[in-house]
Amino acid sequence: MTLSTNTIEISVEINGETYVESVPVRMHAADYLRHVRGLTGTHVGCEQGICGMCTVEIDSVPVKSCLMLAVQLDGASVRTVEGMSPAGTLSDLQIAFSEKHALQCGFCTPGFLMVARALETRKTMPSRDEIAEEISGVICRCTGYDGIINAIETHLEQHFSHVERAGKR
Amino acid sequence: MNFSAIKPASGRASISMIGASVRRKEDARLLQGGGLFVDDAHAANCAEMAVLRCPFPHARILGIDKAAAAAVPGVLHILTGDDIEAISEPLTVLRPVPGAPDLPYYALARGRALHEGQAVVSIVAISRAVAEDACDLVQVDYEPLPHATDMTRVLEPDAPVLHPELLGSNLLASREDRAGDPEARRDAAAHRVSDRFHINRVAPLSMEMRGALAEWRGAAQRLDLRVSTQTPHLVRKQLAESLRLDEGAIRVVATDVGGGYGMKLGLFPEELLAALHAMVLGRPVKWAEDRMEYFRASTHGRESFHDMTIAAESDGQIVAILNEYTNDIGAWNSPFGSSQLSSVTFTGPYKVADAAVRRNVVLSNKTPIGAYRGYGQPEVNFAREVLVDRLARNLGLSPLEIRRRNMLRPEDLPWTVPSGAVYDNGNYLRPLEMAAEAVDFDAHWRSDRTPRADGRIVGIGLSSFVERTGYASARFLASRGSRFGAHESVTLRANRSGGIDLYTGVSTFGQGSETAFAQICAEVTGISYDRIHVHAGDTGNSPLNTGAFASRTLIAAAGALRAAGLALREKAQLIAAVALDVSADRLVMAEDMVRLRDDASVGISVADVFNRAITGQGIPEGVDPGLEATVHFEPTDASFSFGTAAAVVAVDPETGEFAVERFVFVHDCGVPVNPMLVEGQVRGALAQGMGAALAEELRYDAETGQLVNGSMMDYFAPLATDMPPIELMHTQTPSDVTTFGVRGVGEVGTIPPAAAVANAICDALRDHGVTLSRLPLTPESVWQAIRIAHSKGAA
Repeated sequence: MTLSTNTIEISVEINGETYVESVPVRMHAADYLRHVRGLTGTHVGCEQGICGMCTVEIDSVPVKSCLMLAVQLDGASVRTVEGMSPAGTLSDLQIAFSEKHALQCGFCTPGFLMVARALETRKTMPSRDEIAEEISGVICRCTGYDGIINAIETHLEQHFSHVERAGKR
Repeated sequence: MNFSAIKPASGRASISMIGASVRRKEDARLLQGGGLFVDDAHAANCAEMAVLRCPFPHARILGIDKAAAAAVPGVLHILTGDDIEAISEPLTVLRPVPGAPDLPYYALARGRALHEGQAVVSIVAISRAVAEDACDLVQVDYEPLPHATDMTRVLEPDAPVLHPELLGSNLLASREDRAGDPEARRDAAAHRVSDRFHINRVAPLSMEMRGALAEWRGAAQRLDLRVSTQTPHLVRKQLAESLRLDEGAIRVVATDVGGGYGMKLGLFPEELLAALHAMVLGRPVKWAEDRMEYFRASTHGRESFHDMTIAAESDGQIVAILNEYTNDIGAWNSPFGSSQLSSVTFTGPYKVADAAVRRNVVLSNKTPIGAYRGYGQPEVNFAREVLVDRLARNLGLSPLEIRRRNMLRPEDLPWTVPSGAVYDNGNYLRPLEMAAEAVDFDAHWRSDRTPRADGRIVGIGLSSFVERTGYASARFLASRGSRFGAHESVTLRANRSGGIDLYTGVSTFGQGSETAFAQICAEVTGISYDRIHVHAGDTGNSPLNTGAFASRTLIAAAGALRAAGLALREKAQLIAAVALDVSADRLVMAEDMVRLRDDASVGISVADVFNRAITGQGIPEGVDPGLEATVHFEPTDASFSFGTAAAVVAVDPETGEFAVERFVFVHDCGVPVNPMLVEGQVRGALAQGMGAALAEELRYDAETGQLVNGSMMDYFAPLATDMPPIELMHTQTPSDVTTFGVRGVGEVGTIPPAAAVANAICDALRDHGVTLSRLPLTPESVWQAIRIAHSKGAA
């Protein structure tokens, strides 16, 4: 893609597929996902690690992919918004976002979805204040956040009640 | 009102679609990462553009050496100010400042750059990285010039004049609107309050920045431009003018737009540059703005100061309001320029017949100001509502009572304000009383301002408002020199599958117009919401329109949707009537069938009817084939939304720290087409209003004239943890001047927060005599206000 730029070969698993390919050493991970792998659901909003548009899941942890180089993805397992549900369908979390009007322009939405899904791995249901704290690494300029918190809270309540029932069985 | 009840997406015809909180059409794609924002689109063989920008607020460009940049492998094309005049015209203005000259504005600086961030050189290369590398190698010989960046000093005699070839000073225009004899009423009045209020310069801060993908097919003389805009058809108009092309050669597309908030109105220099490079190179060119560029080259909002006087009699009756305000427009007149609506709503919801407002527009060596959500209404609301509270305190009246005594009553409406605008029907007192009751204002007013156990004192502030939504006719716009219409338009086209394709020039940037338009179309035609396919933001398939701004979309589009829907339904039922051998007036189209109203067993499928129309086979004699309707609808009047907010704020009288503990917002936007969308618009605008009131400010260094906090790291947009608890209430007074009684709702939340919070802080500290007149309100500014009050001996 770029002339006179060094490349390094990486092996990375993205949404269940493994890719082995050379990437420019100067390319950050968000640009790699978007422009090399065509996964344009991950957005770029500041390239300073503040706005959170580029948040993806790397080895089960939400990460701001603009602060990582593509070469650092070597050996990693990456999940983007495109891998969140089978193509053409919505997960329970995504449906909760729609029902609670948690998105308007939708540019930040993939970032919030990534952070919200990571909250499922907590041991206990977070409070509204804790949810607000957890999502404060992603900026939404449209909604005022209320719909996003409502959606995540509703989804996690269902999620943790399922977990609890499963635990009792 | 509880907006949380969600009706199923497939609204049955028996349930009115207007007023239903259906799930949005936009959501499925956006939730799957399937939106199509500018930088998501790709073109084969695409090159990328980077822009070199002036680092000084004002500088002469003595020379540009681009040899080293041109020699970088992969660099394809370089443009400088010397090239630009030969191949383009200056950018045009859509909403000029009345009475002011247009300021010719080429896409690249020629000879002199007038603000930090102004584009000086643009480079296209095989990648953005190479283009940026090449930018670093361009040698620009700048001679820094004296700058004028403090807007309160740009008219001083020693200030450098930005446009000496057109203007004798940095005053671009000055215009007054008046009614009655406010000076005489003021001079005769028992009481007067006056102050100067400073409004901060802020960034609209869309999460998607600007961008462009330009594709030129020279043999076809055809330009396709994908941009992030609220006004595709107006961008096309401006592009044609600046590129010297016939409009027919240009198609502009904005599919998904990642936030606009008024900033993305009209054509920007970089979009024009991408098109110019593409036309020279004969290959696609993409430009994706980065956040550093955004803070310096995308238009800013708000910066102004207001000198306001309110005069009243001893009983609290306001007899005159005088407001002279100055807007900073930055270095150039952007397509929409600085805000104009302070002049329309400066008297607010009050019955004041004697009033005058003067708007001065000044130039400064800063990024151009453009439209931003509220467009002058949040600014003037801060000045007026803070002064109303001070007046009440001076008179020993409660802030609730003084508002009650002065508000326009339903029987006073319609009411003509000095600008000539006409408030339509409404009931302004109801939201005031509801907000006051929600916070038990009267009991609070009578109580002492003693600190709580945590040392904080609780205050409550009210802020009442009106908001102009929509434009009152093309005649009104013509009188202001605006170069666009007041209408909105839609094409409805039946398809062979039995659905309707809905084409609109209104692009999708979060406001939910795809959903609201489909709801109205479903309501009028009877076709299922799910069968209506909205195609938005493409000038290649939509009828010419105006665009989505000024809270005007639905006010104008509802009329077009209704008329087009009725025309389509009427023809469909005519065709069905002949097929069924019954009279058309006995038929009803609902979901997938056209049936007899009184015998549901007799019917024909909508798909059958639509196919007959499309093929022309099996339609009545004398009826033309095809089934579509295009309607342009122009509203005759603007409509005014209204309401009152109440903030409950706990203030530390020692440190000035404060927290908004409750924010009650009561408003009326007429008939809500989708209450869920209304709530979303209000909450989102409130967040922006809170941000501008309490945290956001673009600051310029006095000495260097440079922006000091132009990055996401340094500019504090509200996070989820920053939002106070917001309680929404809603009254519903259908407007009697709009289709379905709608009023606009997109901007209203930005208007009252600053004054509500300021009034609450001053109420908490009323025993200290604290006054606030500068935004943003911060713990530091409150602490300073306390110190100033104490030094005056008020405590």
